[in-house]
Amino acid sequence: MIFPRWFWFALLSLVCWGVWGLLVKIGTGGLTPQALQILFVAGMIPPVLAAWWQNGFAVQKDARGILYGVLNGLLASFGMLAFYAAMARGKASIIGPLTALFPLFTVLGAVWFLKEKLNRVQACGIVLALAAALIFAR
Amino acid sequence: MADWLIPAFLATLLWGIVGVLQKLGSNRLNASSLLVWVTAGYVVALPSFCWGSQLSSLGARSLLLGIVAGTVNGLGTWFLFAAFEHGAKASVAVPLTALYPLLTVALAYLFLAERLESLEWIGVFLALCAGAMLSYESSPG
Repeated sequence: MIFPRWFWFALLSLVCWGVWGLLVKIGTGGLTPQALQILFVAGMIPPVLAAWWQNGFAVQKDARGILYGVLNGLLASFGMLAFYAAMARGKASIIGPLTALFPLFTVLGAVWFLKEKLNRVQACGIVLALAAALIFAR
Repeated sequence: MADWLIPAFLATLLWGIVGVLQKLGSNRLNASSLLVWVTAGYVVALPSFCWGSQLSSLGARSLLLGIVAGTVNGLGTWFLFAAFEHGAKASVAVPLTALYPLLTVALAYLFLAERLESLEWIGVFLALCAGAMLSYESSPG
């Protein structure tokens, strides 16, 4: 069975993020959440620059788009800080899967604010997410 | 209640809101432009983290670990974009990459000797299925 090229890229993405979870857990052993976030940003800039370079350093400047993008980075930063705090206290094997349930809030927000429709798979996903959250929170 | 529960919930909630902003942003900007502005947001938040970071007292190993964590995460995003450029459908690639905690669980088992109770394993399994299912979008946008 031959997998298409995109599959391998998606798999590489999965591997990177999976390894990232482990590195964060190890990092929280000796780094403050603030230090971890500063170093995280320092580390992520090279791949971002590479991706930007690949697109010829072109950047669109739609004002609302910029606002959403910058707000995205700001909120994600504070989310990271909370993630590091959780990782410092709990098991990576639980914090990783639990925080990866964030699409639950994205889906609910999209339904609420963007008037998107929930599909059946997502509806089942919500039920499973709540069941998982209940198990972790017991 | 476990002391990690509130920060974990907060991270999940904030990243969930980030997902909505990402949807809004991607309606107005292409992927690489959005990535640039998101990174700008990360940089804007940095000064607020300097206080209490104890960055100056860190050893080379800790510094390297933090930087590599950022690079690996950035590469993950880059590879996802590359998957889209090579014809991946978001409805398939995003749920697939949402399974990344599976690897974290395996690595934590191997390298950190983390062990879970049977009920926790069920929770992990449900969370992984849920993450993939929630990321499934049947229509664009």
